[in-house]
Amino acid sequence: MLGAQKVSSTLKNSKFISRWEFFTIVGIIFSISHLDAPAAFGDEAPLSYNHDIRPILSDKCFFCHGPDEKHRKRKLRLDDEASAKKKVIIPGDPKKSKFIRLLKTDDEDDIMPPLESGKTLTPKEIALLERWVKEGANYEPYWAYVPPKKHTPPKVKKTNWPLNFIDHFLLDRMEKKGFQPNPEADKRTLIRRLYFDFLGLPPKYEDVEKFVNDSDPKAYEAVVDRLLESQHFGERMAVYWLDLVRYADTVGYHGDQDHSISPYRDYVIKAFNKNIPFDQFTREQLAGDLLPNPTLDQKVATGYNRLLQTSHEGGVQPKEYIAIYQADRVRNVSQVWMGATLGCAQCHDHKYDPLSLKDFYSMGAFFADVDEEQHFKVGTNALPTRRPPEITIYSPEDQKLIENYDKKIAALQGSLKKQKGKDEATKKNIAKLQKLLKEQQGLKKKVVARGRKTMITVSKKTPRTVRVLPRGNWLDDSGPIVQPQVPITLGKIEKEGRATRLDLADWLTDPKDGVGLLTARVFANRFWYMFYGEGLSRSLDDFGGQGEPPVAPKLLDRLAIEFIENGWDVKKLVKTLVMSRAYRQSSVAQAELVQLDPYNRYFTRNIPSRLPAEFIRDNLLAASGLLVSEVGGKSIKPYQPAGYYKHLNFPTRKYRSDTDERQWKRGVYMHWQRQFLHPMLKVFDAPNREECTAKRARSNTPLAALVSLNAEVSIEAARVFAQLTLNQAGKSIEERLSYMTRRAIQRDMDATEKKIALEFIQQVIESYKKKPESAKELIEIGNAPVDKKLDPVELAIWTQVARGIFNLPEMTLRN
Amino acid sequence: MIYPQFDPTLSQRRTFLKQGGLSLGALALGSLLKEDQLRADVPKGKPSKPGFAGLPHFPPKVKRVIFLCMAGGPSHLETFDYKPKLEELDGKPFPASLTKGQPIAQLQGAALKCQRPLTKFKKYGKNGQVISDYLPWTAKLADDICIVRSMVTEQINHDPAHTFMNTGTAISGRPSMGSWINYGLGTENSNLPGFVVMTSVGGRNPQPIASRQWDSGFLPSQYQGVEFNSSGEPVYYVKNPKGVSDSQQKNLVNFVNKLSAHQNKKFLNPEIDARISAYETAFKMQASVPELMDLSDEPQDMLDFYGAKPGDGSFASNCLLARRLAERGVRFIHLYHRGWDHHGGLEKYMKICCGLTDRPTYALLTDLKRRGMLKDTLVIWGGEFGRTPMFQGKGGAGRDHHIKGFSMWLAGGGIQGGTTYGATDELGYNSVDNIMHVRDLHATMLHLLGIDHNRFSVKFQGLDMRLTGVEGAEVAHGVLS
Repeated sequence: MLGAQKVSSTLKNSKFISRWEFFTIVGIIFSISHLDAPAAFGDEAPLSYNHDIRPILSDKCFFCHGPDEKHRKRKLRLDDEASAKKKVIIPGDPKKSKFIRLLKTDDEDDIMPPLESGKTLTPKEIALLERWVKEGANYEPYWAYVPPKKHTPPKVKKTNWPLNFIDHFLLDRMEKKGFQPNPEADKRTLIRRLYFDFLGLPPKYEDVEKFVNDSDPKAYEAVVDRLLESQHFGERMAVYWLDLVRYADTVGYHGDQDHSISPYRDYVIKAFNKNIPFDQFTREQLAGDLLPNPTLDQKVATGYNRLLQTSHEGGVQPKEYIAIYQADRVRNVSQVWMGATLGCAQCHDHKYDPLSLKDFYSMGAFFADVDEEQHFKVGTNALPTRRPPEITIYSPEDQKLIENYDKKIAALQGSLKKQKGKDEATKKNIAKLQKLLKEQQGLKKKVVARGRKTMITVSKKTPRTVRVLPRGNWLDDSGPIVQPQVPITLGKIEKEGRATRLDLADWLTDPKDGVGLLTARVFANRFWYMFYGEGLSRSLDDFGGQGEPPVAPKLLDRLAIEFIENGWDVKKLVKTLVMSRAYRQSSVAQAELVQLDPYNRYFTRNIPSRLPAEFIRDNLLAASGLLVSEVGGKSIKPYQPAGYYKHLNFPTRKYRSDTDERQWKRGVYMHWQRQFLHPMLKVFDAPNREECTAKRARSNTPLAALVSLNAEVSIEAARVFAQLTLNQAGKSIEERLSYMTRRAIQRDMDATEKKIALEFIQQVIESYKKKPESAKELIEIGNAPVDKKLDPVELAIWTQVARGIFNLPEMTLRN
Repeated sequence: MIYPQFDPTLSQRRTFLKQGGLSLGALALGSLLKEDQLRADVPKGKPSKPGFAGLPHFPPKVKRVIFLCMAGGPSHLETFDYKPKLEELDGKPFPASLTKGQPIAQLQGAALKCQRPLTKFKKYGKNGQVISDYLPWTAKLADDICIVRSMVTEQINHDPAHTFMNTGTAISGRPSMGSWINYGLGTENSNLPGFVVMTSVGGRNPQPIASRQWDSGFLPSQYQGVEFNSSGEPVYYVKNPKGVSDSQQKNLVNFVNKLSAHQNKKFLNPEIDARISAYETAFKMQASVPELMDLSDEPQDMLDFYGAKPGDGSFASNCLLARRLAERGVRFIHLYHRGWDHHGGLEKYMKICCGLTDRPTYALLTDLKRRGMLKDTLVIWGGEFGRTPMFQGKGGAGRDHHIKGFSMWLAGGGIQGGTTYGATDELGYNSVDNIMHVRDLHATMLHLLGIDHNRFSVKFQGLDMRLTGVEGAEVAHGVLS
């Protein structure tokens, strides 16, 4: 237990907490250890304000009795201890407290919350509030604003279970509840889990076999280390990051033209692969252009500030759109880095969190220097459209070639200048030089054409004036002018002159003078989610008052602190997450825990999860052998139904799918059309990336089944897989079946499965023998060459079998 | 506490509660669940928890909505809102007192002049509804429709204005009304999506329509609108691959589901149960969708009545398909006709747009009425905004986008036909009487479906999200019978 004294001294030492104190709480007497032992789980422990009480108050009361001054009723603030205790709460005496009385009254005019609010308290909630008042109505500063501490892992009874600190914290919770952890998953499941979690790709059957037969206790760690070094790790992490920052290949509004940005995506992949420290990663994206002598990568990284939706439609009023862009950036930067819904303060003070209208616009002011107005004038309906400032980047080889051509061209031009006189020889010479020059210029042009444009951030000399817009109304110029500043309850950037995006990035990642500790916690929770299937707090994008406090908050704290202490080392954090015993648990729920802990909030198992859309595609391509694993490059255009873009205009769109081998690159490279996201991505819940997405839905719909069953890529992959099988496997049905399942799902079928499969295969054989002409139709789907040496009927039969295997749950599920 | 924020586990919770926690079997089956049965367990009378539980709040007047969206923004001044004053002031400067400080689209910086109505109006029906000559067929419906002349929206460009009309906000990522309604009320036919979108084109400069307009936003994706195409493949991927017959496809699905079920004996994963169901439904859809879209069982005189030619992708065909969808229990049917963006050449393009949509609209309402279906259907006609009383001349006289006053009409169950509701000022600029904001339209629509818009909310990012937002909305009782 931490004494009150220690807590308040911690608070004093922290700059932003003093603001928080200023905002709500003066003099706190409580114990933070409540956080880990919420009374909801045991009757004798006192209630925790943050865990048990605040969520109720926030949801049911703060709307009228919370931070929003304008909407506040009777000047009462239930989020403010002083106000509440002065007006309606008598600590220790629920009977005399008006607060409790009005919750329980029968009088329809007096009852709280008022009937017309549509909000009601359950008897259980009222009982909790009553008990809390009886226990003294202790408040706590809001958990998400209390900086994390390096908590000591608790002692556990089952001492041989924990492998690292994660296990101590989790097992402690299980033991207190009387729960048992799951046994370790079988080794095949484990290595598949690692591959999908680290790379978004399946292991090879041989890798699985090797791992299963490896008795070395270090074998698991060796796999982890190997995967962390794979170039596909960055691709896997990028899929998550690109959702957060709403990366897409098109402008989003109106004509939804392509814009140039794919090098930014490659930067993200590279950054994760190179393990660029997360604070540096943050600085480069928000303010790479403001770093001293920025590298090309750092300039490309500033594409982050340009990822938002834009429009150059004829009827656009620039002033309105500048306001829209500003709001978009505030929403995104606050959600991505702070897990805060500052976007809710666009029209009024935040209803639940200490964030004001002014905070919203002050945050917007950081981006007032982003040079972007040009596109209102020069944006075209071409593909891609123009969104200056842009730069062109080349591969290192091309860069070298261009330099060489430039040298040659300069030399030739020099020689040309020296040619004087009008005699035949000189004329001949000039003609020769000119021909050479033209040749070189032509060659250079070819290389230059291979370059890729990308939007970057350039800082304007004079930033736009930013005003508070009353009620968010961009036509209203009556609001005060604001300077760039962070939300006042979280601190202040002290600086002479105007604070910049770089200052903001520093503040977001500075554990001492900024909110680095809080940022680290937001991301520790998200990385946890990526590997454990659910966050410690399930609200990955809202650590505000309406978000869910974490289970095991001390564990989350510890992860955040380690993240910072290790220099924001993402790979190290990821490794810590998977080296625990908890991660390696089987995902099969214990029967009684299905009822006692249906959402697995005690992490007594790993959570099976459906793969993200991109990896479902990758998995098919990998099994078939079609996958082209080149990292980076232009966005790719896989097959898509004809006419899918028919509602687009300015310009009208004809989608041309790639005819070369880009057709089979990974899903992360797919062209991301915001208004009409590729149907395969859409049915498997990839977001259209108009806004920040921290957690994708995982649905299971008939439309998704139709894609898996019938989409061109599924059929093509099945046919190529069949070709591979017929060429590589033995002649018998059993041998071929085994080859296929080993390659696709890394195992053999059990006896029952085999029986079902053989029945199916017999059906397929009979059906195609009867209709050999339809066999030809099936195998001709897709660009990949048909192996003419194979019998079309046999190929169709095994294509159909491959389709069956490709539609098994294991192709889309990571257990 | 059970964390209330919306996420996919919500449907899990619903199932879980229903089945007493014995099985998580039907996770995410969503609209496939017999939702009404689930709701029967919810105690009636008391104010329910926000969200899906306890819906409908009161007996509904209609079961479904057909929204005829005239995309691009038809002129109210040439359809339902006759302004003689504009005749008088034609070509004169438009009063600056009205336009000062107001949002304006393409006419930014231009001299603003009055533009007279570019057609004649007559009175129709028992109550003398004023309707323009461009809409002779709609005029025959004068006694069925309630004309709303006082619409107001907040977005002046097409894309955000559609988003606003569909979701109640211009911020991306929010569910559209069709998703809300299906999420709230469930579907009557598990072999079809509950929210279907069809589009047609014809007129001036068809504006793009983003799939965002039928997105389910933060609601589960099974509630998103599904686009049906009246030409080409009716639903993407609904056909078997070439060279695969129905029976081969059936064998395949059986194989997949048998193995899935076998495997799930070990894993007890509700996701796999859901997947099995999804595959079954997908296979059924492969039959039910083409059957629905195949107009060959409609008699020729019915096709002629609508003016539909099977496979032509016209608004007429879509109207006929809308009736077939309605018959099969689809809850929200959204037709878009793109071509109403009449910045110039208004007379020419009004003729084209009305020529393509007027008669089919009449046919749809009449057909529904004859079948006894209009009384439990709400039909809404209108664009994302109206057009300025001021002249614009991109290729002949036309009008710019206008959001402060425009017209729509409502018909069907619970609607007071033969009436006109609200009014704009004498120049047709501002709505001044019985103003109906888009949010009020949403509130009214939900009311007819038996939903109190204030009590239909879902937690998202910590907020109680409603279709009608936080700004307040009123049911327009004046349009109700």
